[in-house]
Amino acid sequence: MNTEHQWRFTTLGFLISAFALFIVVQMVRIQVSPQAEDLRKRGAGNSGTWMTLIPARGQIYDRNGHLLAGNVTVYEAGVDLARVENPSTIALALNAVVGADYEKVFAAASQPPAENAVYATLAKFITEEQKTRLEQLAAEMEAAYAGSRVAERPSLAGLQFEPHLQRQYPEHDLASNILGFVNWEGEGYFGIEERFDDELAGKPERVWVSYDPNRVEEIPEVPEGTGLILTIDREIQATVEGIVESAMQESGAESATIVVMNPTNGDILAMATNPRMDLNEFWNYGEVFEGDTPFNRAISGTYEPGSVFKVLTMAAALDSGTVKPKTEFLDTGSIEVGGTIIRNWNSGAWGPQDMLGCMQHSLNVCLAWVATQTGARQFYAYMQNFGIGHLTGIDLAGENPGRLKLPGDSDWYEADLGTNSFGQGVAVTPVQMVMAVSAIANNGQMVYPRIVLSMIDEGRQYNTSPRIAGTPITANTSEKLTEMLATSLETESSVALVEGYRVAGKTGTAEIPTPFGYTSSQTNASFVGWGPVGDPKFLVYVWLEKPTTSPWGSVVAAPVFRQVVERLVVLMDIPPDEVRLELLQGQ
Amino acid sequence: MYRVQSFTQAYIQAPWRKQLQWIGLFLLCLILVAMIAGVYLSVSARTITIGREIQGMYLEVEEAERAIENLETHLAGLLSSAEMRKRAISLGFHPVTPEETFYVVIPGYVKPEQVVLANSPGRTVPSAPTVSEEYTQSLLDWLRERVFEPAAPLLQEERP
Repeated sequence: MNTEHQWRFTTLGFLISAFALFIVVQMVRIQVSPQAEDLRKRGAGNSGTWMTLIPARGQIYDRNGHLLAGNVTVYEAGVDLARVENPSTIALALNAVVGADYEKVFAAASQPPAENAVYATLAKFITEEQKTRLEQLAAEMEAAYAGSRVAERPSLAGLQFEPHLQRQYPEHDLASNILGFVNWEGEGYFGIEERFDDELAGKPERVWVSYDPNRVEEIPEVPEGTGLILTIDREIQATVEGIVESAMQESGAESATIVVMNPTNGDILAMATNPRMDLNEFWNYGEVFEGDTPFNRAISGTYEPGSVFKVLTMAAALDSGTVKPKTEFLDTGSIEVGGTIIRNWNSGAWGPQDMLGCMQHSLNVCLAWVATQTGARQFYAYMQNFGIGHLTGIDLAGENPGRLKLPGDSDWYEADLGTNSFGQGVAVTPVQMVMAVSAIANNGQMVYPRIVLSMIDEGRQYNTSPRIAGTPITANTSEKLTEMLATSLETESSVALVEGYRVAGKTGTAEIPTPFGYTSSQTNASFVGWGPVGDPKFLVYVWLEKPTTSPWGSVVAAPVFRQVVERLVVLMDIPPDEVRLELLQGQ
Repeated sequence: MYRVQSFTQAYIQAPWRKQLQWIGLFLLCLILVAMIAGVYLSVSARTITIGREIQGMYLEVEEAERAIENLETHLAGLLSSAEMRKRAISLGFHPVTPEETFYVVIPGYVKPEQVVLANSPGRTVPSAPTVSEEYTQSLLDWLRERVFEPAAPLLQEERP
């Protein structure tokens, strides 16, 4: 190698080294420069995106696995502001297809893109069909005006759709008073949806999702919300809702409520009332439930129950040993309790009666006497043990505890003992009465009403257990009273009787208090009954508010009970007593 | 002395031979580095490709889950109580009355107690790892397993 070549190589090596050194120095300079932190942040910001992972809302099923509340995909329409070509076309299309406000959409889509304004929401909850129509429009416009050089050619460029799930109720208004609904914001209102809102909604997670495929495993899986299986039987619920409608028409009542419960485990099989609403159109809530109309009268509608309450009065008296079924009472047509004269429903004197006669003829005078014999302290202790004046704890939002005035309360008077004995001056809810009467139907054991049978969480099913709320009376008392009530129905050939099945029950007619006192022209008609006697499978509570065809529970509510039971025995596969007893003997 | 010098001179390598050795050694190192770089590049490319596919699959899973929810709700609507009642009536059926009902004893029949829509906690089995080792092991682990331990099979054959 000669000197000339050596010089050239040395120069070239020096230049390359200098260039490499320059690169290294520049790299170090950038790393330590004042803008370095900002550049690092920008780099990190572009390496991924923040996403809120919203789990699917848990589904709700009936006791046989029929879906009562599910989810469907809807879309949020928005625009990528940098890609918008014609905001007017976008506004027109959304107005025509979705019914969105033209001015608002136009203003949103006309925003100039900026560092902090890259996307604008235009419309929410767009259905699959609407989205398809908009996409078709976009494609048609693109095909028609693709080569156009007009400055403002019609275009839906920039329009985007983001899918998400929304609550849907495939049964529409079935069991609507039990389920409640979910609003646009995904919040549960009333019933199961409100009571279990947190569980059903699951836990949304805000996570950083990296664009780097090497970090794909870092995307967390968000489990869907807890699913619920209810104790409701869809077929029984639908049948009972149908009976509620027909009962209202036939009796001219303002409202009707029917609760069906299994008295042995507290399973609510049906809870029907009115009004009901199509839960998929929850925005009509204000129109359907005008004023202070309760969403579910069975748990929030309090009223004076009238003579169905006598069942509890008699249970307390029998259990405390105050009276026996054959105890004689001479009904003179009136009795004074605490200075108030109490008369029978027909203002008549019924003469000598045993306790069976008192219940059969629903004598206020007799039951007021029974309550006074039981004594206020003992009477109210029993009523409290029956849960009157307390929440039942049913898993539905909006339960009302009712009101039971107690000795010692400022508004309690001795006369209340007399009126309370036949269900006046005390406010209860149907579900409260159902729970109390379950003690009589279920050998003295009172059960908590149960609406949630199971919960499904992360692929596992957790079953709930029936719970005993207490034993306010003995099994012996329960048996005696059930026999008395079954016999009284049979003796008076009640319209509540169901051929082939022995049932026990009691009618109730309560006058409604007004600012000017009680009025006998407006009543609450009720019936509580259970069966088959000896092996109870159902407990039915009927409440008709202000019936117009007849004020009496025995005329308007008792036939409704029979209608319900006639369908129940078929839907629940309950054989007639004769067949059932034959089967028992054969075992 | 002369003998020793001539012996050393006889066996000393020529300068061009030494240079050739150094060049050979350099090329050997270069080939080794190129091989490692090639393998690394190949593995990285595959990892990235699979990662992208997984990202796509996440979106597909989301879409599939939404489709399942849609179909379940749609099916529930088709089989809703009102729809089934309507269809039954159109086919000439009517709600059975207690008088029309016959009860027959079927030996051994047990009425199902409760619907089961998911496993109970006691019936779950421990889940197997779902991510293959290829996506979790390091390059060194991979090289140790697949290159430096030739006894290890390159492909895991499925056994009957």
